[in-house]
Amino acid sequence: MLDSKIPAGPLKEKWDNYKNSCKLVNPANKRKHTVLVVGTGLAGGSAAATLAELGYNVKSFCIQDSPRRAHSIAAQGGINAAKNYPNDGDSVWRLFYDTIKGGDYRSREANVYRLAQVANNIIDQAVAQGVPFAREYGGLLDNRSFGGAQVSRTFYARGQTGQQLLLGAYQAMSRQIHAGNIEMFSRREMLDLVNINGKARGIITRNLVTGEMERHIGDAVLLCTGGYANAYYLSTNAKNSNVTAAWRAHKRGAYFANPCYTQIHPTCIPVSGDYQSKLTLMSESLRNDGRVWVPKDPSDERKPRDIPEEDRDYYLERRYPSFGNLVPRDVASRNAKNVADEGRGVGETKLAVYLDFADAINRLGKDTIEARYGNLFEMYERITGENPYEMPMRIFPAVHYAMGGLWVDYELQSTVPGLFVLGEANFSDHGANRLGASALMQGLSDGYFVIPYTLGNYIAGTSIDAVDTGHPAFAEAEDAATRRIDQLLAIQGNKTIVEFHRELGKIMWDEVGMSRTKEGLLRGIEQISALRDEFWQNVLVPGEPTHFNKYLEFAGRVADFLELGELVARDALEREESCGGHFREEYQSPEGEAMRNDEDFTHVAAWEHSGDGSHVRHTEDLEFENVQLTTRSYK
Amino acid sequence: MSSSSAESGWLSSPILKKVVTGVTGLGLTLFVLGHMIGNLTMFSGPDAYNQYAHFLVSLGPLFYAVEIGLLAFFVFHIITGIRIAMGNRRARRSRYAVRRTAGGPSRQTVASRSMIITGLLLMAFLVIHLLSFKFGPGGPGNANAAYFTTVDGVGMRDLAKLVHEKFQTPWYTFGYTIIMLLLMLHLRHGVWSALQSLGAMRPSLTPVVYTIGGLLGAGIAAGFIVMPLAIYFGFI
Amino acid sequence: MIITLKVWRQEGPDVPGRFETYKVPDANPHMSFLEMLDVLNEQLIKEGKDPVEFDYDCREGICGSCGVVIDGQAHGPQRRTACCQLHMRHYRDGDTIVIEPWRAEGFPVIRDLVVDRTAFDRIVEAGGYVSVNTGAAPDANSIPVPKDDADLSMDYATCIGCGACVAACPNASASLFTAAKISHLALLPQGDPERERRARSMVDQMATEGFGDCSNHAECEAVCPKGISIDAIARMRREYMRAVRR
Repeated sequence: MLDSKIPAGPLKEKWDNYKNSCKLVNPANKRKHTVLVVGTGLAGGSAAATLAELGYNVKSFCIQDSPRRAHSIAAQGGINAAKNYPNDGDSVWRLFYDTIKGGDYRSREANVYRLAQVANNIIDQAVAQGVPFAREYGGLLDNRSFGGAQVSRTFYARGQTGQQLLLGAYQAMSRQIHAGNIEMFSRREMLDLVNINGKARGIITRNLVTGEMERHIGDAVLLCTGGYANAYYLSTNAKNSNVTAAWRAHKRGAYFANPCYTQIHPTCIPVSGDYQSKLTLMSESLRNDGRVWVPKDPSDERKPRDIPEEDRDYYLERRYPSFGNLVPRDVASRNAKNVADEGRGVGETKLAVYLDFADAINRLGKDTIEARYGNLFEMYERITGENPYEMPMRIFPAVHYAMGGLWVDYELQSTVPGLFVLGEANFSDHGANRLGASALMQGLSDGYFVIPYTLGNYIAGTSIDAVDTGHPAFAEAEDAATRRIDQLLAIQGNKTIVEFHRELGKIMWDEVGMSRTKEGLLRGIEQISALRDEFWQNVLVPGEPTHFNKYLEFAGRVADFLELGELVARDALEREESCGGHFREEYQSPEGEAMRNDEDFTHVAAWEHSGDGSHVRHTEDLEFENVQLTTRSYK
Repeated sequence: MSSSSAESGWLSSPILKKVVTGVTGLGLTLFVLGHMIGNLTMFSGPDAYNQYAHFLVSLGPLFYAVEIGLLAFFVFHIITGIRIAMGNRRARRSRYAVRRTAGGPSRQTVASRSMIITGLLLMAFLVIHLLSFKFGPGGPGNANAAYFTTVDGVGMRDLAKLVHEKFQTPWYTFGYTIIMLLLMLHLRHGVWSALQSLGAMRPSLTPVVYTIGGLLGAGIAAGFIVMPLAIYFGFI
Repeated sequence: MIITLKVWRQEGPDVPGRFETYKVPDANPHMSFLEMLDVLNEQLIKEGKDPVEFDYDCREGICGSCGVVIDGQAHGPQRRTACCQLHMRHYRDGDTIVIEPWRAEGFPVIRDLVVDRTAFDRIVEAGGYVSVNTGAAPDANSIPVPKDDADLSMDYATCIGCGACVAACPNASASLFTAAKISHLALLPQGDPERERRARSMVDQMATEGFGDCSNHAECEAVCPKGISIDAIARMRREYMRAVRR
């Protein structure tokens, strides 16, 4: 049913085979083909630049005022590649294997192997663009190690690797804008996908400054619009990150795959009050030296420094003696939630645990700790007003990344021909859990090195009808988008968009969060559905559609989150196993560890949106020919 | 959209404008430094002062060449300065209701903010100053026997007398003093700014040069002020 | 905490603006400055008024979207902090805070505190890149880069393009922004082949956009959330003169 179009041949030769046999577009003809690229993060920026370099006529769209501000910019840690510069035994195979295992065996072997193969080219490309990666005194590139791997394969630029890689892609784009090969549309939001004769041919965008609706036509559409973690309201995503473009494409026929795979990052700065608008992540490297604990007694109100050793529960060290504080993200997050549920959380809100550096400071000295984590400590102090050298940090998990996304085949093409999905917006490479420093790798791999081949194959092999934006399909989509905006403004209820979003976030966090149950998910589905009904009767959207109106933008996005949220819950309900970022309490070992059900769930769940708003679940079986499925254990 | 307010034409590059201002500014700083030291000869008596002035004039073509060069420096410095100031006004038409410097590495001071004002006042002063002294009684085109003297058998203009007369009037003396304080302000920002504009800065040098700029400005102004005040209060 | 705000309201680029005074009765010291504005907006929406528009995105000081002048200082009183990371604990109960947009002809106001910074994009488009196509790159370690150069280059590359330098500059000059990009690339061997062309075209574009000239007030360095030094501007001038001499 779902054809993943994985090329024939041994794993290591699949991508080469594909490149050797895919159809090519004549250089002189590329100019005649227009490609619409939505989003300018690592995936969209790199795709737009590369396609323009090849000679395609590219139109690029972003919701920010500049393509340089896409949320990829906030990635801190680094980017993986199997260069094996440290000579510590790394290889493409190991990077592939770690990524497959880290994803809890819920991703496609062929995709992940290709990702590991092209990762090295990304580093070369970025260096050539002038990305100032960290270097050794000899002038060569420095590497560090990251979670889920036993080798040092992470390239980094201080704590701003995402920023530097994005600026590299942005600068490559800028060069093509200057050359006239990319036409840039900033402050534009994609509100619909236009299909003509079964192929994706255009988009409807809204000019966020003037409110005007615009029609854009092309030979193919690339969605590079990021993830949907903001369905949880509080997340580490940027405020404008949203699912709208992907969701509208979903409603026009693109299947949505594995929406229940959401990643919760364990080391974020906790919520301080109801007004909180977003959460800030701190690099998980902190767990290398910090010890996680809570008081043994829930009623212990003493200051952390006054609580003696015997009254503290270092619960990760206790439960996982061999990995201790360094268990993977999902395990660390779930355990923090458990102690908070037991009422042993700390701080004003009781939704936090301590991350204590006192032992490390005693053992290594304050200077060493400062050299390692100085910038993170500074950031913590700026936000909380507390000095982590003297007081233990308070941390709590927060939603961080969406592994799920629009379903794509090996060519990154969705179930709508001509609609390609890149980066976090697709579901493809991370399975049920993403390893650190892999998101940047995937976004750039899709944009720089995969799409140039697969898009060419599509364009060369497809007859594209000569139509223009006067086609009835454009008029229909534009009308629908306009009507929706008018409808939102006409309600004039008495609850604000933020109030609805916050409520949705609470339901998502409580019932569809780190730890899920059948009852909770059913309850969540019901609550989301009721909230959605209330939204369409009682939301209060200020202002007019004809001027810069951020709350109107948000209203449309929250409306889509209210639909997506339910699908996340449904997907979680159907997946009767625990894997990666998806933990079902019913499916755990007696020690409380996740239990996969490989027999029944070694597949991708791809949801089709049917006309009446209901969803149909399709599956794509995952075949593992090269790796053995094993159980993760960190005891 | 590109702004229609942008300048074009001769010397429109923001960097060349600053280089011209910086080079001419540094040249003029050397000139005022020399002028100030020359003025101090008055403390050795009117004859020494007159001899020094006469020596300069007697250099003939060389003196005129320097004068023309100085004039060119003034003209370029003033024109680019005015153009920069006008460009800057165009670059922000809507003003802030509240302004506050962030301090720290900021070198924004009364001096830096008022370069165009101190500059224009100095220009006005320069005209009056030239009319009072260079083209004053006994000067070129203004022959006056009363301002002629002979020192060691050499006949020359008695500039010292003119100076003494001028600096006995309170408005001239105190006006001059105020203008020299403005010069101090102008140099306070100007010297280091010129070096920064010429790209001569290194991180380690910045605080040193900034301090030297301030001291130089204060020193030159003090040197200029002592002589008129000494005359006014009758010390010389 | 009760905070009084005097906020610049302007309906569009060609409409005259004005200050409006609002009270935020339930501000909290743990809030970020922008969260306090969120609270104000919730209040305004419920009263049927138009909320105050301001730009923001990541709210962790890296995307460069946010930026307002707070009591006369770009991004407010805390050094090296974008206003999204400024917290209300720096204020006292009863304080009055004046909030204005970035004011510069190069940054026309779109609405309220939102300005159009696309001039920065055009400056980068003029030459702020290395002209290398995807796929043409040699192995990443084929050209060693001295660590000190790489580190200094990174110092300049950290620019988030927020525009505070222009906002704070008495001349509304974009020199620090332009210089940071020129310096970042000029310090690396990869950026070397185009350094003259880059310096010339970026500086020319900066002038075309209607920004003022740099008078070395160094106010930009003081307000820069990344603390980028005006040594970049000295370097830009050297790069430019070098290009002119050729």
